[in-house]
Amino acid sequence: MKAVGQLLRLPFHRMPVAGTLVLLAYLGGLAAMIGLHAPPMIAGVGAAGWLWHAMAGMTLRSVVRPETQLLPGFRRYLALAGAVGLALGIVLPLLVMLALGGTYHAPLIGALLLLAAAYGLVSGVGSKLSLVLMPALILAGWQPRLATILVKGAIQSPWTPPLLVLIAAMLVAYALRPLLRIDDREPEPSPLESTSLDRSTRAPDGAPVPRGAFAKRIAGLFDTVAQRAMERTLARYRRAPSARLRTVLVRRLLLPHDNPPAIALRLVLVAAVVALYFFAVMHRQHFNATVVGAYAILLGMARFPQLGHGMLRMRPNLADLYLTLAPATKADYQKTLIDALLVLVPVTVLTVLAYTGLGIVLVHAAEPLRMLLTAAIVAAGSALVALAVHLIGPENRLGRSAVNVVVTVAAMLLYWGGYWLLGAVGYALGGTLLALVALSFGGGVWFAAQREFQEREPRFDAPLG
Amino acid sequence: MSSPAALLQPSALADAPAAAALRVQALHKSFDKREVLRGVDWTVPTGRVIGLLGRNGAGKTTLLRCLLGLSPIDAGAIELFGEPMTEPGGERLHRIGFVPQTFDLFPWMKVRAYLDFTAAFYARWNHALTARLLGEWQLDARQKIGQLSQGQRQKLAIVRAIAPEPDLLVLDEPVASLDPQARRAFMTELLALMRAPGRTVIFSTHITADLERADADIALLRDGRMQFTRPLAELRRHLQRAVLERPGGWREAPATPGLLKGRVEGDAALLLVEDPDHEALRALAEREGASLRLETPSLEDLFVELA
Repeated sequence: MKAVGQLLRLPFHRMPVAGTLVLLAYLGGLAAMIGLHAPPMIAGVGAAGWLWHAMAGMTLRSVVRPETQLLPGFRRYLALAGAVGLALGIVLPLLVMLALGGTYHAPLIGALLLLAAAYGLVSGVGSKLSLVLMPALILAGWQPRLATILVKGAIQSPWTPPLLVLIAAMLVAYALRPLLRIDDREPEPSPLESTSLDRSTRAPDGAPVPRGAFAKRIAGLFDTVAQRAMERTLARYRRAPSARLRTVLVRRLLLPHDNPPAIALRLVLVAAVVALYFFAVMHRQHFNATVVGAYAILLGMARFPQLGHGMLRMRPNLADLYLTLAPATKADYQKTLIDALLVLVPVTVLTVLAYTGLGIVLVHAAEPLRMLLTAAIVAAGSALVALAVHLIGPENRLGRSAVNVVVTVAAMLLYWGGYWLLGAVGYALGGTLLALVALSFGGGVWFAAQREFQEREPRFDAPLG
Repeated sequence: MSSPAALLQPSALADAPAAAALRVQALHKSFDKREVLRGVDWTVPTGRVIGLLGRNGAGKTTLLRCLLGLSPIDAGAIELFGEPMTEPGGERLHRIGFVPQTFDLFPWMKVRAYLDFTAAFYARWNHALTARLLGEWQLDARQKIGQLSQGQRQKLAIVRAIAPEPDLLVLDEPVASLDPQARRAFMTELLALMRAPGRTVIFSTHITADLERADADIALLRDGRMQFTRPLAELRRHLQRAVLERPGGWREAPATPGLLKGRVEGDAALLLVEDPDHEALRALAEREGASLRLETPSLEDLFVELA
């Protein structure tokens, strides 16, 4: 049983603070149920169970690899650990609730606890099955009255608990099956790839990300487009070699999916998802235009965290690039990298404008020009800052996460502020003031970072952590 | 130029003891349309240290992963300790240790916690050995795995693989990331541990000096097939290189009985010969007006010639 204990402790090793907080929430929920004689507090225990299983899922995703399955009895102990989790997270609180006299809908509550745990596990594992809630949310948004009737009917039906248990069992089975299946590894794309469209086969923690057939097809499409872009650039370079084309070649290597066709493909895909979501869920609600623009900024800025992480992962492989380029000085090499990556700024501005444009169409925004102008200025300034901090910023995961949050939130706040400013003092004056603030700050940070990056020694060592 | 010779036949181990740690028959494995293993037949007797050699892309890693059930096979059969192996599982896992080519598991875990975690699964675990190796190899048990260098991770993977004192230890390029000192220490440790009745080691490597130090049996994988598995001493006893040198050089290497491979380098013809017939070689040299020199090739020379 030592192995079961070790498996149950894994989430604490991975996320000690979060693990402790969730454990305290679970114990607090149980204590509140007993101490306050309040069976409804079981909802808190259920929430802790959901969080715990989400953490367990995240841990499993990085632990369950083919090599791990060489541990004797690994699957058996994993099943036992799951049973212990089930007993503590569902059976025990349910028994406490029954002992306290809370027998109202006990089977339904038990089934809901199980479903919450299963859903947490599925979400933590990163399975697309976590999207199964989407149809329910779409229904609730589209036909709220019908949804209420269905929920009331489900509460009364004796078939609901077994149905929920069945769904929970299916969720767990389908989430764990790809993890436990021993399969050949796929080759990885460039680590600088964006994960936002499921383009990476590895999560930031190095765990393989399971991909479905549709995602694999999209990935194949992106790879084909990247390959063609590289071939075209190579052909142009062979015909007429130039420093500019050399930079483009480096760019094709570092950012294989930031060529025009791939950008267009990405925009179409994101637009399709956003439009579907909007039509299904949100079309009845009133929208604040600043929310739409800020969301567009958020989507555009989501590209940069992957860049920071990817640059670290790619470092050992960049030695090849360094030797191939044979730069006169180390600073020249650093400059080549900077020049290649700088394309992300116009790409981000274009992306944000496209998403904002889509939002304008979807919500029939009253002041499209004000939104577009604000979005363009804020995106340009924020992209410069984001690129700068990911070039010279902290390397550890916590530092990078903090930087990501700060930059993204600041960009969204700037959009809100800028939108208000344009409304208050007019497009010309407001736009100029906003551009002065955003672009001078962004430019200042960018030029300082560029100088600092060029002064630094190129690094080709494997990142720690 | 090469011709099959008795010494280098894969079936040469068919006369090996029945108690084989591993038997592979007609193993096929493809990735997409590329066939990597094309009918591997291989028997590894219990109690041997086997060095698996092969060029880059020969399929060494694929073969080792298939043997352990970590990569699904297309056709063929694998037996470990006399039982069919389809995928990892069962009690036999207590008897197997594995060091993968790259160790990238559990970057968020501390070394001590990782070893405790792993130990919990095994019926036996040599805690004293673990503690000693951590000290000797300067691995800080309080450090996170993600903060270890590649070499340190490889050391940890080796500690973790040998601590359960497995009957079969499979190592995929185990020393590639280690410094020479750690490599020597590892080989010494490995041999001390594994040179015991019933213990078998299979390790792939490019560093032929380590195989010589370990006095291992040599298995050569080429063109997706196992070419031979032979003790190094036996290879050395039977294989010689005849160097035939003449001023005008050679258009092609001449034939001689037992010739495995011949090539021309400068004015010399280099012939790798099994159990050379000295009389025939002398006659050849006289006929062609060449000087004759016989050399015992190093393992690296053999690898270059045969792989």
